[in-house]
Amino acid sequence: MARPESLRIVHLDSFTLLYHRESGITHLLTAPAPEILAALGEAGLNRTALAAKLAAHYDLADFDEAALAERLDELVAAGLVSAA
Amino acid sequence: MSDDRPLQPDDVLGGSAIRRRTLMLGAAGAAAVVSIRPALAQTNASMLTCEIPVPDSKRAGQYIATDGTVVAPGTQGAFPPAGRAFKGDEVKHALGGGMLPGTTYEQNQAYVSYIRKLQSGTSGFTCFASLQMPRG
Repeated sequence: MARPESLRIVHLDSFTLLYHRESGITHLLTAPAPEILAALGEAGLNRTALAAKLAAHYDLADFDEAALAERLDELVAAGLVSAA
Repeated sequence: MSDDRPLQPDDVLGGSAIRRRTLMLGAAGAAAVVSIRPALAQTNASMLTCEIPVPDSKRAGQYIATDGTVVAPGTQGAFPPAGRAFKGDEVKHALGGGMLPGTTYEQNQAYVSYIRKLQSGTSGFTCFASLQMPRG
């Protein structure tokens, strides 16, 4: 994910505002996007490891690889995650 | 409520001492990210092109009762799904007391009630939430 020092995070009930200083863009995130970003951490994970980490911390009620891929694609499109 | 430090895994993962909670990955169309670009944020137009389907794609075909709840198709007194997703600017207008396009007075009331009840993870939630945000 983007370097942590480049982000300003504000938690607002069920959504998270994330300001990316370098681009000046504010992102409005809802679950599971903040959880995915936190699980990826700065070092990043591959998709399998990410799924395993999420499953270790949460009950993934509707786990589906395609849905996870779509959520990751959204984060990549927003510039918050870079694909390896 | 706010902080100014990097997002840490324990902020949202909860750490080992905190209860497990359920996480929904969501379905296609239930976008979890909306980005507000500075130039657009200043023009007050940033979110006006996002869309809110009524009802959301997971419940396509179901009817909307007058109180905004989603009910079985054909339910007496409820309204059929909207023929198309509403744009952010249309919803903003309706939230301010206007009418959603192509709706009768009561149908509009039902759809607006549905939109006001949108929850995280439902198609259109991020669009609805963004319409609530004040802009400078």
